Amino acid sequence: MTHAETSLRRAAAMLAGLAMLAAPHGARAAEAWGIEHEKEVKLTGKVVDLLCALRTGTDAKTVDATDCPPDCGGGRRQLGLLTGAGKLHPAVKANADFAGATADLAPYCGRTVEVDGLLIANPAATLLMVQALRTDPKASFVKADRFLAEWARQNGKAEEWFRADPKVKAVIAADGVFGIRGLEPKP
Amino acid sequence: MLATNERHKIGWGGRAAKAVTGLALAAGLAVSGLAGVGSGPAEAAAGRRVQVTGEVVDTWCAVTGIMFAYGTAHHQCAVWCAIGGIPVSIKDAAGNFYLVLRIEEDETNVAAPRLVTIQSHEVTVDGELVERDGVKYLLVTKVADDKGVINLTHEEYGVQPFGN
Repeated sequence: MTHAETSLRRAAAMLAGLAMLAAPHGARAAEAWGIEHEKEVKLTGKVVDLLCALRTGTDAKTVDATDCPPDCGGGRRQLGLLTGAGKLHPAVKANADFAGATADLAPYCGRTVEVDGLLIANPAATLLMVQALRTDPKASFVKADRFLAEWARQNGKAEEWFRADPKVKAVIAADGVFGIRGLEPKP
Repeated sequence: MLATNERHKIGWGGRAAKAVTGLALAAGLAVSGLAGVGSGPAEAAAGRRVQVTGEVVDTWCAVTGIMFAYGTAHHQCAVWCAIGGIPVSIKDAAGNFYLVLRIEEDETNVAAPRLVTIQSHEVTVDGELVERDGVKYLLVTKVADDKGVINLTHEEYGVQPFGN
């Protein structure tokens, strides 16, 4: 992919994000990002801890499962959606910049939710982006950006959490933005 | 959180797992609110030992290709995403993505410190591979080699995205 193509995709993704912010509360949340292999979807399934689901074939409520921590790991384990058709989809992205979907899904561990978002059916890996979710078909979808609220609760307000995060700062301070000590961007 | 020895009580596709699966199927999976969920097949996936060599990448950026997602140019973003809880993958030379769900002794996989600190590194890992529904999941038992960041992309791409 050329730099120009990369920039165009990035711009398209940003515009899609802005459109999401403007969507009225309760409306269908799924918005295309223009990603290759993407499908706008509404998927209903059970929230599961991926490791637990892979090892037991079921979910975190299984009695004898030994790699199924309570509450799907309390926000510290990667989660997915196990659909009625038995498809397991890793929920890798939320509707917040640079954030995964664990914060949004963890409160519903073992419960059934309806996810509105994007399924990226890339032959290399099929991924689910959670843009919004609900537990009641009659209720409005709730935007999947819980990560931001949780981050703010722990760290205070910041315009860009990813630049203000103390763990990020520590890693970048140690190895630099390029990941190589002493290698700095040109001024 | 589970103790380390607890992780070994059920092997991949082991008897206990199959018994649990059978019980779950017999009982029917609990559902609430939304109909038609949880009645599908529930099989414990079988894993196999593998050694994988490749670059540690942010899964979302790399698979979707929404921005240049490799090497030095994307290192900072990869750290953001890993700390933000997006799963980390290893991409090998053949273009396969291996979504890492465990690394060595760490029981957690959301923003796991070990995964954060090897973002953009070229690594060779030993682990257990499980494939399901179009995803290769990898449980890393050992990082056998870590060459650090060797994919020097910043000269062409700068800092992706949004500068530093």
